[in-house]
Amino acid sequence: MSEKSKRQAAVPAWKIWANPIVARYARSRLRITGFGVQLMVVMLIAGFIFFAGRAAGVHQLNFDAVGAARGPIIPLLVLQGIVLLLLGTGQVAGGMTAELDEGVLDYQRLAPMTPLAKVLGYLFGLPIREWALFLATMPFTIVSVVQGEVPIHYFLQLYAVFVMAAILYHLTGLVAGTVMKNKRWAFLASMGMVFLLYTVIPQAAKFGLVYFKYLTIYPVLEEVLPFLLESRVGMVMEGYQQLMPSAKFFGLNLPQYVFTLISQAVLSFAMGLMLWRRWRKNDCHLLGKFSAVAIFAWLQAVLLGNSLPLVNQGDIFPSREFDRRFGRFLDTAAEGWSPAPAEALVMVGLYGLVTLFCLWAMIVLITPRTDDQMRGWRRARKFGKTGLPPLWDSATSTPWTAMMAAMGVGGWYFFAKSLMESRWYPGLDLTGGTLIAMVLVIFGGGLSIQALLEAKGKKYTGVTVLLVGMVPVMIAVIVGLNSDRLLPAAIWLAGMCPLLWPVYGAYMAIPIDDMPRDFIRAVPNAFWFWQGVVILLSGWLLVKLRESRKAIAEASKE
Amino acid sequence: MSEQAIEIRDLRVDYGDFVAVRDISLRVPYGEVFGLVGPNGAGKTSTFKVLTTLMEPTYGEVSIAGLDIFEQAEEARELMGYMPDLAPVPSDLKLWEFLDFHANTHRLGNGKERRARVDECLELVNLLDKSDSWCKELSRGQTQRLVLAKTLLHRPKVLILDEPASGLDPLSRREMRMILQDLAKQGSTIIVSSHILSELAEMCSSICVMNQGELLASGSAEEVRSQLGSVERRLTAVVLGDASPVVSWLEGRNGVSGISADGTRASFNFVGSDEEQGRLLRDLATAELGLRSFEEGSSSFEEILVKVAEGNRES
Repeated sequence: MSEKSKRQAAVPAWKIWANPIVARYARSRLRITGFGVQLMVVMLIAGFIFFAGRAAGVHQLNFDAVGAARGPIIPLLVLQGIVLLLLGTGQVAGGMTAELDEGVLDYQRLAPMTPLAKVLGYLFGLPIREWALFLATMPFTIVSVVQGEVPIHYFLQLYAVFVMAAILYHLTGLVAGTVMKNKRWAFLASMGMVFLLYTVIPQAAKFGLVYFKYLTIYPVLEEVLPFLLESRVGMVMEGYQQLMPSAKFFGLNLPQYVFTLISQAVLSFAMGLMLWRRWRKNDCHLLGKFSAVAIFAWLQAVLLGNSLPLVNQGDIFPSREFDRRFGRFLDTAAEGWSPAPAEALVMVGLYGLVTLFCLWAMIVLITPRTDDQMRGWRRARKFGKTGLPPLWDSATSTPWTAMMAAMGVGGWYFFAKSLMESRWYPGLDLTGGTLIAMVLVIFGGGLSIQALLEAKGKKYTGVTVLLVGMVPVMIAVIVGLNSDRLLPAAIWLAGMCPLLWPVYGAYMAIPIDDMPRDFIRAVPNAFWFWQGVVILLSGWLLVKLRESRKAIAEASKE
Repeated sequence: MSEQAIEIRDLRVDYGDFVAVRDISLRVPYGEVFGLVGPNGAGKTSTFKVLTTLMEPTYGEVSIAGLDIFEQAEEARELMGYMPDLAPVPSDLKLWEFLDFHANTHRLGNGKERRARVDECLELVNLLDKSDSWCKELSRGQTQRLVLAKTLLHRPKVLILDEPASGLDPLSRREMRMILQDLAKQGSTIIVSSHILSELAEMCSSICVMNQGELLASGSAEEVRSQLGSVERRLTAVVLGDASPVVSWLEGRNGVSGISADGTRASFNFVGSDEEQGRLLRDLATAELGLRSFEEGSSSFEEILVKVAEGNRES
């Protein structure tokens, strides 16, 4: 052992190809026995799409050679999406959990590589087979693009966003794999996330939460689609495009692909930050308190920044899009479109709900467990401190929750105000009562969950959320379906559920007159009653939390 | 360079209310083979996890070769080799690939140089002929040896081995012990935990006994035996006639318990220092009870640790 080891200089993290973790997975996941079969299948499918698409274009649809060459581009993109976005994400999450489960992850923790190099190693190493399969299909796409005379910058825009989306989803899969303990669940949950992102979540974009569509490749695909299709079909699409709004962020008019890249890059950074923290210190929270508040602020900024510029033109309303796409075809004489108040109600309610969800997610990430607090106190005492420094993972998350709740109320209020006081609703004004309702919903929902989580832990909170969040709604649905006379009772029962508070709160702002009389009376009464209960409950929980913190501080003196 | 290969000061590890390691401090000089022994739950693995940067303690300072492992974790990792208890291996790699990957993380030259080092380590643990086998095909003992080879790849200054012989048959244990003894001769500092205490006693230049997160004793094997053995010793007085008068004489004396007589032999337990024991026996010899000789039952390491563990359970 006296022989001096011949160490080379550390490889910079950005040199992905020289990363030992990438090399390790290239060796195991690109073996001819496993990879070869998958490569053959993918090449067969890609080849079939390529040749069948061209043949159908020329012989069945009577496209010219250029138009027919464009035919396979979109089907190939779908295939690439399935391989890289869907299977790749599942592989990353499942592979990470498997490493954890087998126990070999500790070796990598001990490897003298920087946390960033380890994150990048797993990010590009675990899905290396999917990247290889994706690259194997690219020659078909490139031939189609060249022969189809697609302008190169549209091709580059589309694939830049596609690659960025793959990185974002793979990072999300890595986070899921780091947190989840079961390989199969991690695999399914990550693929489910991508599936939802492309099916359910874009629907939220139609109701004012425009930002969500920028987490997919849809915006840039819509923008470049006319140039990827046969020219006649493309012209029709282009006609639609001219009617569609471009990406706006407050006063900025950005190209769709630029804003999509920025949105995905910021979220990728957040995911990377979580992984970097975990690689640096195994038992720390995924996000620090300051980072969580910053990310929450960013989410509020993009939710508002993307939606507010669309209010004045009416482009934010779902009925406007429907009117533009189909209205003129259905009724050429249609004029004087205006949004219904119910649209604003749904949009305001949805904004509040998404804000509450984001707040809860951040609370779960930054709230310390009892164990963390105990260790934190002991450490603080050892260092001669009289309290826990507020940025430590073990410190309480109450003030940070309050800070994020204040941002959430601000964002929600501005969104509702911009919508209601726009030219579309001349009779509507935002009252002080609405602001109070918003404060109660966000602060009550946030602080009560935070106090419960910090004082009692995840299991207790989970069961409470299940009982309060789901059971009353289920009973309310059964009661409501039994008889119209029982509708007020159902509304009162459902009002207990925090998920419905933003909707009830939105109704405080935008009352819909053409609803049943019982409904109109029951919603405000139920809302204020339950908010009163929430004030008392939150106050009691915060007192209990204070007592619990004192008890932990005392116990830690041992 | 620091004088100590490993230095731990005021280390504490908590899991909620449970204190796994309670304010321990210890020093391991260079070139030492240091054994950490104790019953299950003594805090050995928690200490090792902190030492290897896998876990952050509640508080405490730990340095390896003078490097603060919390501030200079990456540099410290270059210097240490860690072999965990029941070490796992990946199922999708061959032996040489597994080792080559780790050689690569330690930047041990280009592909050819790494392969040479991999073969060298495989030969050291007698697995060179299985170089192209899959890791998952190895037996328990072979897996332990493979992980030891991985631990040795980058020629670490400090080897941290958590129960390296667990699950091994006697022959594999012997092989493992010989490999570690060779490494020690070559100057590596080794810190090892084991339940095979007699083997540790043979192999280690110093030993530390842990129980319930605390250090009970440390020093050479004999010193530790003496320190722990002094807690309770079994003494026997052999007399010329009936031993009953000796029993009467011993009753009620400080530190004496469990007195029994069998013909000419009176046996009893004694708790006290070596000086106190000397005084007691001198008084007995001068009491004119026909004393012919004394015997002291020497506790084996296993017996001592069984006592420690039993005390652990009772408390």
